[in-house]
Amino acid sequence: MPSKQSDISSSLSRRHMLQTLGGGFGAVGLAGLLNQASAKELAAHVAPRAKRVIHLFMNGGPFGPDFLDPKPGVVKFEGQRPAELDSFRTERKTAGLLPSPFQFAPHGESGVPVSELLPHFAECIDDVCVLRSVYTDNPNHGPALLLMNNGTIVPTRPSMGSWFSYGLGTENESLPGYVVLCPGRPVRFSILWTSAFLPGEHQGTYINHSNLDPQKLIPYLRNASQSADEQQRQLELMRALNGQHLKERSEDKQLESRITAMETAFRMQFAATEAFDLNYEPKHIREEYGSSHFANGCLLARRLAERGVRFTQVYYGDGQPWDTHNDHNNSVKKLAKDIDQPMAALLRDLKRRGMLDETLVIWGGEFGRTPTTENGNGRDHNHYGFTMWLAGGGIRGGMTFGETDDFGFQAVHNRVHIHDLHATILHQLGLNHERLTYRYAGRDFRLTDVAGKVLHDVIA
Amino acid sequence: MRSLAVLLVVASCLAPGWCAASKAVATDERVATEFFEKKIRPLLAKHCYECHARDKAGDSGELAVDSRAALLKGGDRGPIIVAGKPEESMLLKAVKYSDPKLQMPPEGKLPDAEIELLNKWITDGAFVPEYGVAAEKKAKEIDWTVARQFWSVRPLGRVAIPESPNAALANPLDSFIVAKLHENGLAPSAMADKRTLIRRLSFDLIGLPPSFDDVAEFLADERPDAYERLADQFLASPHFGERWARYWLDLARYVDDTPDWQKTTEQAWLYRDWVVRAFNEDRPYDEFVKLQLAADMTPNLAPEDYAALGFIGLSPQYWKELKLAPSVIEVIVADEWDERLDAVSRTFLGLTVACARCHDHKFDPITTRDYYALAGVFASTDLSDRPLLPSPLAEQVREARRKVDSLKESLKKIKEKESEEAKKIEQHIADIRAATPQIDSPMAPTIEEASVFVVADGPDATKLDIRKRQPRDLPVFRRGNPANPGEIVPRRFLELFSHRVGNAHRMDASSVRDTAVTDGQGVHPTVDSGSVASEQPRRFQHGSGRGELADAIMHEAQALTARVIVNRIWSHHFGRGLVRTPSDFGQQGERPSHPELLDWLSAELRGGGRESGGERERMLSDSGWMLKRLHRSIVTSGTYRQSSKVDDSVSSSPSLALDPDNQLLWRMNRRRLDIESWRDAMLDVAGNLNDALGGPALNLDLPTNRRRTLYGKIGREEQNDMLRTFDFPPPTAHSPARDVTTTPLQQLFVLNSTFVESQAAAITSGLADGSMDERMTTVYQRLFQRNPSADERRIGTAFLTPASPERGRSYVKALLGLNEFLFVD
Repeated sequence: MPSKQSDISSSLSRRHMLQTLGGGFGAVGLAGLLNQASAKELAAHVAPRAKRVIHLFMNGGPFGPDFLDPKPGVVKFEGQRPAELDSFRTERKTAGLLPSPFQFAPHGESGVPVSELLPHFAECIDDVCVLRSVYTDNPNHGPALLLMNNGTIVPTRPSMGSWFSYGLGTENESLPGYVVLCPGRPVRFSILWTSAFLPGEHQGTYINHSNLDPQKLIPYLRNASQSADEQQRQLELMRALNGQHLKERSEDKQLESRITAMETAFRMQFAATEAFDLNYEPKHIREEYGSSHFANGCLLARRLAERGVRFTQVYYGDGQPWDTHNDHNNSVKKLAKDIDQPMAALLRDLKRRGMLDETLVIWGGEFGRTPTTENGNGRDHNHYGFTMWLAGGGIRGGMTFGETDDFGFQAVHNRVHIHDLHATILHQLGLNHERLTYRYAGRDFRLTDVAGKVLHDVIA
Repeated sequence: MRSLAVLLVVASCLAPGWCAASKAVATDERVATEFFEKKIRPLLAKHCYECHARDKAGDSGELAVDSRAALLKGGDRGPIIVAGKPEESMLLKAVKYSDPKLQMPPEGKLPDAEIELLNKWITDGAFVPEYGVAAEKKAKEIDWTVARQFWSVRPLGRVAIPESPNAALANPLDSFIVAKLHENGLAPSAMADKRTLIRRLSFDLIGLPPSFDDVAEFLADERPDAYERLADQFLASPHFGERWARYWLDLARYVDDTPDWQKTTEQAWLYRDWVVRAFNEDRPYDEFVKLQLAADMTPNLAPEDYAALGFIGLSPQYWKELKLAPSVIEVIVADEWDERLDAVSRTFLGLTVACARCHDHKFDPITTRDYYALAGVFASTDLSDRPLLPSPLAEQVREARRKVDSLKESLKKIKEKESEEAKKIEQHIADIRAATPQIDSPMAPTIEEASVFVVADGPDATKLDIRKRQPRDLPVFRRGNPANPGEIVPRRFLELFSHRVGNAHRMDASSVRDTAVTDGQGVHPTVDSGSVASEQPRRFQHGSGRGELADAIMHEAQALTARVIVNRIWSHHFGRGLVRTPSDFGQQGERPSHPELLDWLSAELRGGGRESGGERERMLSDSGWMLKRLHRSIVTSGTYRQSSKVDDSVSSSPSLALDPDNQLLWRMNRRRLDIESWRDAMLDVAGNLNDALGGPALNLDLPTNRRRTLYGKIGREEQNDMLRTFDFPPPTAHSPARDVTTTPLQQLFVLNSTFVESQAAAITSGLADGSMDERMTTVYQRLFQRNPSADERRIGTAFLTPASPERGRSYVKALLGLNEFLFVD
């Protein structure tokens, strides 16, 4: 959460303009933008469609043709390796084609095909845009995780959530603006939510939600030895003594801003505790989501979205559970069962509350998996073409975009690079990816580096 | 989109196309050529060449419009022009912005008049003449004479010290500041009181608060030079090096702990402690630079100075999956060289050389040839640990360890531990260990002369071929792509600095110092073209060239190097640099607020024989690059000793109105303590601080860790919560300066961390019996080195009544959390 504007009066008119432009977004976090970009540049930013993003991250990499990119033709080639696949090099050696055994059927009014692995999610398909042609640059987890999260394979750049926070600021000063939920530790860890050279307040707050006790979720959130009343008294003491100190230094905004931050922190103890406490949810909602770690992550994400958190990432699990180099089909059944109900519950729940329109939900891994087998029953990493989906936040539902080849190996039509995905997310948030820049080390950096095009075809 | 392209291809085949124009009679052709050259080509050059030129087309839909053939061919969506049919030409569609998915140029729609020109050109048959050689886009020529006169790189001349209306200004530094203030209708502030001064100086120089007794002693010291004595005392403290080393470690992206697949950095502290010692021993800056870049190439080196190589030895490494093709791995290896070049060039030169990796620097006179000439130095240098022992003993230990490691590997592969074979290997290991008594000496993270070559390993995989003492020159990687190599560039320094001054061809330190001083022409010395000749930069001759690189930084680039380090030191004393972009002294960086002062300090730092100037100008010393003298000169100045308070009321202060940001230093800046000083201060006032120097890093989360924060373990992957929350920079890349953010998460640490809680408890339980008032006084003396005011006593008494141990702890904790504890006036 950013500090208060240091020069409030001079920025009021600009703020007013930005608020008007930003469709009523809280102005608090614009401090960074105001320092970096001129008002003229900001005026070029686009009308926002989404206020926040929830990213359901299938760390390890799921296989699209199991879920949303049916390739019935592959059956004919089972065990074979057509010559056109020779040039596809992945991390490890793979052999012949292994068709996905899962059956597809059209769903919803749109008739978008969804596999039998996702019966609950299939009911929401009219709100979902399936991207079948995403590709990334590198078939290793580390670089692919970095490209997905930080827009580059070099581990020195800010994460996308930091860019969102930097661009939009926070809507709720009593909560961190960017939260990363994982029931464990994802590979590469904190570099995936670093603010790098952006101001430190924009880094992600990592929370291991395998223990749901809110007081254990955020560092230093609650006090073990003092009652709230005692803390309140202590706060009043600090306010009085800081007031004495401030008397002779009233021109110094950083002193005041720390006093304010202290009071926000005091409130945050309760606000955050409440936000992270799933016991406030009625039984039927808990049941609708289910009881897995991922279900809890989705429900927490909704609670945080309601409270104005800009970006919540829900990592599926510890390490990289979707990395099915062995026994792919059996693993994926379990994994799919784990995500199906919570994903559907999240979309329905957001919709019921009228929040889906302004909440962009993203699903996918850092890459996909090969249609060819590794070790007979496993699948290797595939960065040539994979599936993600988007929903809400001004995205067109009930559609598919892009195609992979006949085997589901490579994106061939309407290819979507990660930079394009980032450009589109920023666009939905009302930010022009070419103008959201930060001057560092002699040049202006962007989330999308020097690439990226907005996918206008998927926008409602 | 695809169907549109298909349609266009078909349409262009059916249309009369290009032949119509080429059959035109000679006069028509001349008219058409003139139209194209005068109207169309300038338009393409202005709006399209930046992306759609032949050397960049790969990134821009394979479309190039800077040659006849390329323009006619079109891009990967097919031809862009259908002669005679503007409405069918993709080019026209794009510039008209009629299709939301195809809008060019991206920065905005062209004026109607220009669109009309393109329309007319296509309607008339879209004639394209042969582009002459002269018509090809040329690389931007750098005007070296102008480039070398840029403020940050021009030689340091003699700077006249401004006449001061107040003759009593003993420190020339103050003359510069006061002159500028007067010029702007401002006046300096009064001197801060002695209690403020000792607290300021103590935190600034050693990163710890003074004790109440220290303050009392200083207040009682009425000698005229009491303050100078105090400064000398702090400068001589071993804690000085600890305080100032941390600033350097931010630049060096120092790390104790890296992911387990990387080379271990367990002994990184040997580098950290070397930096601390170097600052404490006041090793001259030129030596400090040289050792960090090339200690291994320095004759007669003390073995412990090899630790200096940690600057590059602790560079980040990126995962290289050798199961992938060499083309993938080459990029990752090049990224590593890039990061090292970036850290070195920004740290020592304040130049963003890495901007020239894919194209010539957009703003500064740095070419891609310069980039790859320097990248070759890093390509010829490999990370490698070494014990801090003299050669050749160090090499023997290294070799013995290598053998033992490989024997241990083969031992692992043997399942039967009791087998003859296994026993034989174990015996072998024991023999090697016995023959090498110093085999367990700590291994410092250093570097060696070795080049990394990325080569194919079979049809699919890659291997890294490390070739010892085989320095390599790199080709220019066009557009930064190793798979697209251009000409090979010999390893050398930046062309910007490769000019001769006078007749000095190969300059040694003293001749440069003399020349630069006598060449100076007053305040704004310019390069005299009569005595300066551009020449091809000298190739590095010795190994990778690191030694020559260090020499070039200290000699050819001397003026810049001096300005950069002076500004860094200034910025840590004042909270802000004379140049506010401490690692960018190029066009994109800010200009100095006090250029003459910066030049004067830089010339003083460099030292060198002065012919005249008198006592007043020779305040620093004749021997160059002594940093403690620079520190002393700054902290004993009147400018530094000013009060940070605004004298008049805020609404009526003329200074505040004229210079609200205090750019001209009409007062001292109030500063927030960084996390290191704040945590150390809490430990110190609680009587818990273990102030031992040096040694291995220790996890900061351990409740038993009472060492200075400098010795907390720094991880690249795993960042400590507390450090992260308090603006500690991620050690993945060079950090020029820390942000100072104020967030609620930081205050949660105050309210709820066991760390603050235990310091409060230690203070409370350590209090001697006495009245509430006496105890309150003791606490104020320990925390703030003063007695509480009447108001503070009243507020405190109200809070502490009724008294209880819990209330007492709560009180002390609140005091630890006050702004007065965190900010220094």
